[in-house]
Amino acid sequence: MNIDAALATLEATRVANAIRNSLYFFPFLESLHVLGLAMVVGAIAVLDLRMLGVASVQRPVARVAIDVETWAWWAFGLTFVTGALMFITNAGVYYHNIFFRLKMGMLALAGANVAVFEVTARRTLQQWNTDARAPFAGRAAATISLVLWIAIIFMGRWIGFTTTRVTGSKPAPGVNIEDLLPK
Amino acid sequence: MTAFANWLAQTPASTWVASHEWVIPTVQSIHIVAISIALVSAYMILFRVLGWVGADQSLDETMRRFWPWLFGALVVLLVTGLVMVLGEPARELLAFSFWSKMTLIVLGTLLTWLAGRTAVKPLGVLTLFIWIGIIFLGRLIAYDHIWGSWSGSKA
Repeated sequence: MNIDAALATLEATRVANAIRNSLYFFPFLESLHVLGLAMVVGAIAVLDLRMLGVASVQRPVARVAIDVETWAWWAFGLTFVTGALMFITNAGVYYHNIFFRLKMGMLALAGANVAVFEVTARRTLQQWNTDARAPFAGRAAATISLVLWIAIIFMGRWIGFTTTRVTGSKPAPGVNIEDLLPK
Repeated sequence: MTAFANWLAQTPASTWVASHEWVIPTVQSIHIVAISIALVSAYMILFRVLGWVGADQSLDETMRRFWPWLFGALVVLLVTGLVMVLGEPARELLAFSFWSKMTLIVLGTLLTWLAGRTAVKPLGVLTLFIWIGIIFLGRLIAYDHIWGSWSGSKA
């Protein structure tokens, strides 16, 4: 199966149809996506700024890491799932969008950056845990991480401005909040 | 408010923002970066109030670490938000989502400070949800029609 057929299959799924045909589903996903990504990027920034010696310098790096890691992975899961659900509503268009491709590339680079950190500076954490700044490898990883995640946010916003959201061929249901309230 | 929005749309600052296509996406992106700093700063304080993270550190110390970042991010959000209002005055100022968001921001900021000072846990939980509400209402400015006749926006 070639990629276009695979993308078309995703767009034809029942879930994708349900999202396109609802007045509320897509905005709901977008809101959860913003909530999740804000928590992920904010959590990463707390740790990166600690390693750069900008914030939380009195607190050991390992403590700061534990403070944010506990919930940041859940937030990443929320961001990934809501992003995937938005993607399948218009998979062919997003797949060919340059900003979507750049964003996915940068996410992969952010992952690779973490992997490099794990086998370099992370190995010697006990030696610099309470230092105001991480050693060079740690500061480099923190800087690359901050730059990539800020760029990922910009790319995400540009996807929204360079694609047109697809809605169901059926007219949107004439339901709004007032219909749900007592008259 | 409609008259004010129409007047604002005629000002040179507003027409400049509206006529440069890159301004709004750029400012919105900076707005989202600042949201991540503000949200996580507020949440680190509230998570500490609830005893979920950093329990080995005093609440006062947690407030000292994160309150300045929350406040600084809110200033960036205010400035970038004002540029967005300038770009599309009627879409923002006539939106039910916009004014309910502004109300919750004032409430959320005050309650985060109060929770950080008093350590009252139910207040911490309530404030967590207020910040989620702010994010939802921010996104819903683009979909203000879902509020029916409560919305004055034509967006």
